[in-house]
Amino acid sequence: MSADLSRLLNAVGLLAISTVLALALIDQIWFGELPCPLCILQRAGFFAAGFGIALNLIYGPKPSHYGIAIIGAVSGGAISMRQILLHIVPGTGSYGTPVFELHLYTWAFIAFVCTVIGCAVLMLDDRQFSRVEPMSARLKPLPLSALLLFLALAIANVASTVALCGAGFCPENPSDYMLFHTTPI
Amino acid sequence: MMSLPFVLFACGLGAAWMRQRGVAMGFWAVGLVVMLVLFRVHVTEVLNIQL
Repeated sequence: MSADLSRLLNAVGLLAISTVLALALIDQIWFGELPCPLCILQRAGFFAAGFGIALNLIYGPKPSHYGIAIIGAVSGGAISMRQILLHIVPGTGSYGTPVFELHLYTWAFIAFVCTVIGCAVLMLDDRQFSRVEPMSARLKPLPLSALLLFLALAIANVASTVALCGAGFCPENPSDYMLFHTTPI
Repeated sequence: MMSLPFVLFACGLGAAWMRQRGVAMGFWAVGLVVMLVLFRVHVTEVLNIQL
């Protein structure tokens, strides 16, 4: 696998992660499902994982970048597993509306596992690492779009989290945006 | 506080974009640690599982 093909596959992977993050934001803004603290941390986990893939796009594929993506995905997966275990016993409730019969934290865990497997499969081909690539001055349209979307989503999540939680910790079951919440006099 | 990991990852992406790889990886590492510390802070309930 050439470095160019590796970059293309990494761009597709970053777009997949960005799609997950965009859907979470749409669910929050359009359908009004406010994220719990663990849900927000799972989003951060997707950014931690996608960061390694973004580095692959900017600097070319390196084992250390895949390592970053795997560590991020494992950390995010641990957070989603914790939330799954909180509700795994029947009668202990759940958080949010299920999508295709699974809750979003379960889908998040599946996505984190897929990220780890995807990175491991991509790392199998050593030829992408054999050539030291000069840093290209220009990125091709797909990697560039994936990077810009990922960066835009990071900034959107900063704004969303500040609006939801203010400067402190988030409530366990948020019902309103703390930044816009005004206490009656 | 909860937005801190996103801020750090966004700064890291900006640094990577500016070709500052070491700085970018530093931002990622700090962001990951902050994320895990926040996770630890929010893990307060005992799991209702009997093994």
